[in-house]
Amino acid sequence: MNEYFSNGRFRRLCLKELRESLRDRRTLFTLVLMPILVYPLLSMALQRLVISSVGKAKAESELVIGVVDEDILVKFRAMFAEATKIVEAGFVSPILVERTSDPKNASPLQGVNKEEEDTFPAFEIVTSDEESLARGLRDGVVDLLITELRFESIPLERGASPSYEIQARFRQNDLRSERALSQMRRATQVINDYQSELIRKRLDSKLPVTVSFKATGIMEQTDLSSSIAGVIPLVLILMTITGAVYPAIDLTAGERERGTMEALIATPAPRFALLLSKYVAVVSVAVLTALANLFATWMTLSFGGLGQALFGKSGFSLWTLLQILPLLVIFACFFSAILLALCSFARSFKEAQAYLIPVMLLSLGPGLVTLMPNVQFTTTLAIVPLLNILMLSRDIMTGQSSLVPAFAAIFSTIIYACATLVVASRLFGAEAATSGSQESWSELLGRPKKRQMLPDIGELFIYLAILFPLFFVASNLGGMFALKGSWALFFNAAFLFLLFLIFPLSFAWYRRVDIPNTFLLTEGVGKGGPLSLRVGRYFGYVLGVLLLSAGLWMVAFEAYLLFESWSLASQLTEEDKERLKADFLAVPFWVVVLTGAIAPAIAEEFFFRGFVLSAFRSKLSGFRSVLFSSVLFGLFHVIAGSVLSLEKFLPTIILGLAIGYVALRTGSLWPGILLHALHNGLIFTMSRFTEQDLAKWFGADSKHIPVTWMLGGGAAIAAGVALLFVSSLRKNVNEVPI
Amino acid sequence: MISAEKLTKQFNVRGVPLVAVNNLSFRVASGEVYGLLGPNGAGKTTTLRMIMGLLEPDSGYVEISGVRSTNKSFDIRKKLGLISTSDGVYPWLTVREMLMYFSDLYAVDPPIARSRLEDLVGLLDLRNFIDQRCSTLSTGQKQRVTLARGLMHDPPVMLLDEPTRGLDVVGSQAIFRFIDLLKQRGKVVLLSTHRLDEAERVCDRFGLLHRGNLQFEGTLSELQHATGKPHLVDMFVALLNTPNEMSPQT
Repeated sequence: MNEYFSNGRFRRLCLKELRESLRDRRTLFTLVLMPILVYPLLSMALQRLVISSVGKAKAESELVIGVVDEDILVKFRAMFAEATKIVEAGFVSPILVERTSDPKNASPLQGVNKEEEDTFPAFEIVTSDEESLARGLRDGVVDLLITELRFESIPLERGASPSYEIQARFRQNDLRSERALSQMRRATQVINDYQSELIRKRLDSKLPVTVSFKATGIMEQTDLSSSIAGVIPLVLILMTITGAVYPAIDLTAGERERGTMEALIATPAPRFALLLSKYVAVVSVAVLTALANLFATWMTLSFGGLGQALFGKSGFSLWTLLQILPLLVIFACFFSAILLALCSFARSFKEAQAYLIPVMLLSLGPGLVTLMPNVQFTTTLAIVPLLNILMLSRDIMTGQSSLVPAFAAIFSTIIYACATLVVASRLFGAEAATSGSQESWSELLGRPKKRQMLPDIGELFIYLAILFPLFFVASNLGGMFALKGSWALFFNAAFLFLLFLIFPLSFAWYRRVDIPNTFLLTEGVGKGGPLSLRVGRYFGYVLGVLLLSAGLWMVAFEAYLLFESWSLASQLTEEDKERLKADFLAVPFWVVVLTGAIAPAIAEEFFFRGFVLSAFRSKLSGFRSVLFSSVLFGLFHVIAGSVLSLEKFLPTIILGLAIGYVALRTGSLWPGILLHALHNGLIFTMSRFTEQDLAKWFGADSKHIPVTWMLGGGAAIAAGVALLFVSSLRKNVNEVPI
Repeated sequence: MISAEKLTKQFNVRGVPLVAVNNLSFRVASGEVYGLLGPNGAGKTTTLRMIMGLLEPDSGYVEISGVRSTNKSFDIRKKLGLISTSDGVYPWLTVREMLMYFSDLYAVDPPIARSRLEDLVGLLDLRNFIDQRCSTLSTGQKQRVTLARGLMHDPPVMLLDEPTRGLDVVGSQAIFRFIDLLKQRGKVVLLSTHRLDEAERVCDRFGLLHRGNLQFEGTLSELQHATGKPHLVDMFVALLNTPNEMSPQT
């Protein structure tokens, strides 16, 4: 198999596929012409939408002002009567004249006011309680909400002067609301200017009335900008799909239609290599399409002035663009795999198109969901393919994205992409080879006839695609049932057993994978032999593991602090941490040891060092297998309920590498379970001490482990590794079965 | 050398078992052209697929130069060349790109592939269109490209699956010349066809396949002797009329 991935051969295979796609006029059409055509049209349509809503605001001159009580109503009317009187008397506020004549300040919103300079628009005034008015303001029924309008006497030089003090709320970036606000500002301005004019000219002997005005904009997204923030990712994603569709059909079903498929699968090149090269080409075209579309969107929004109108002053920034791009790439990876799987199943272009149309329509469903402004991007939605990327892009564009669902969305999408790719590679060429597509399906999903020594990587990804959503939902369930203390920990341990031990064992049984070999349940390296040798070996293993665990926790602890110093630690506040610690201390220690050390050690070792490591071992070298399984081990630990514990990533990978080494070296799962349990147990023991205790041991005001300790830990690790190495190095040692 | 030993393959067609190939054994030596003959549905394609390792036989095995196809199908496939009528070309690649692509799929080193390409350009007269896109080629030119593709990895064994189906006289002649060329180069040639007249012209030995069973095997004169019929066509007609009572293979 490596022949095809070396010496640039794989690169040449990819290049051929890419060349074939990019020379095709139909690909180029979707890649270049579509963005050029679609975006200006879209932009024109949106412009119309904005203009018509401006027009609407102008035509419906009755702006709705909400006031919270009768008292305010009376004062409001009085104030406006005053302002109207001044304006109708022909008084022109000098500041307003200045402002409207300055073209830089003349926003489209203010432009509307120009014709109304000699009068005020008619207002419709509604009175209700503050809560329902605030709701009305959010929903766009009320345009301006006056929460306070006080008429007070403020002492001035020449005695008490009557003054208005107003507080109001409005919707930001909403045309009607901003217009109501500007009218309100204008009224106060007119009164103030008129009074100062009177004072200046000493025309009035009465005390001047002054108005102070404060307005708070509510950050509620308006319907228009929110739905457009939803439309843009949807359009981008649909366009990315469009870019990928044609190459996907052409490179798979097209091979069959042209009659090149049979020659292709008769070659010794592994099907996975063939499909992977096609996948690279499809993803490349999809990403190129995404880039072209993203650029066109950015151009349209920036230079059409729409961006500012929709996304506030900063507009559709380059930073937003850079955040959306990786999402589109991940999405392209996922959807290209889906397209390849579907098209590999099809025998002709027409059949492929027939399969794709329902998929395209289905993907519109989640798109419509993102258009609803009230749908929040929750953790549960984060594992729904397609929808998660759409929601995440929407939230990034409106600046509301949060870390946990973002991580879950990206991680799950990558897993789904890998699993789909595995399916695609099994389906690709299967029809041509077996003259019956049913066989390929049963090969993929059914129970195989033959026994396998190890699961393969494909099976791992299919299992992960099932496991990850379950894991994610389950890790949030505890919170949902409001489980506390010991119960939460027992629940946690139970689902660990289910997902990491019982399910993988059942899956392995179903796929006829050799369970003792996969889960390293045999006696391990060097089985048998005289009793004295065996006892010596086990003693060596146990002592080696004890030494390793004595040093490892320090490394993990320091790695944790390192991540914390990069301020990558969880977004918990100090109060949260205190509360969590108090909760934790309330749980009996035996429960902590049972559910936090022993249960995870058994369940996770069965999965990560059993199933996962073995699946990687079926194709890769021992070192790479340990590395990849550890990264996966780390990633699963980052998700803990509804918080993202990035600080756990590095320590968990280090632990994974150590246990992976132990598992492969000894050929048995048990020493690793012991190491894992000891490690977790030590870490939990540490966390039961207060910071004062730690300071007593580590030396004054140092959070870090003292150097002498670290040296001791390092020596223990070295001794442990050496002991394990020597113990498993016996003359009658058998190779780890692969 | 190809050696098929007691190959059996059964399919399930809507739940009904159908024996596609039944206990089939034959051998083809180097420099020999063996015709695997039979009407449509006789089991020719299934046999070829088992030889290529694309299908796993229910029982029996195939050996190519001593390597069993069930165990190391990747090694086997390197030794096999396949040409069939339905073979197409990549419209957007040039002839050179397509041939180099296939040499990559067979893991031929690029310098060797380039010199072999030059060789085939002369042999199959590809000079005039070697750098043209395949979509611009005529049917005859496409056919020559396909033949070149089958030889890019210089396989010792060549499988020809209905190579003349749909071709005119000129096209068929080109195939015959190609088979002669293969024979001269000492390749093992397995020709699967239902065009019995053509088979008579080019094959050294024949195997007559019917309903998955090898009914007769031998040279033309041996077959004539065994059946008492002068031509393959007559033998087949007799075979089709009495499908189950015929004597087993000679």
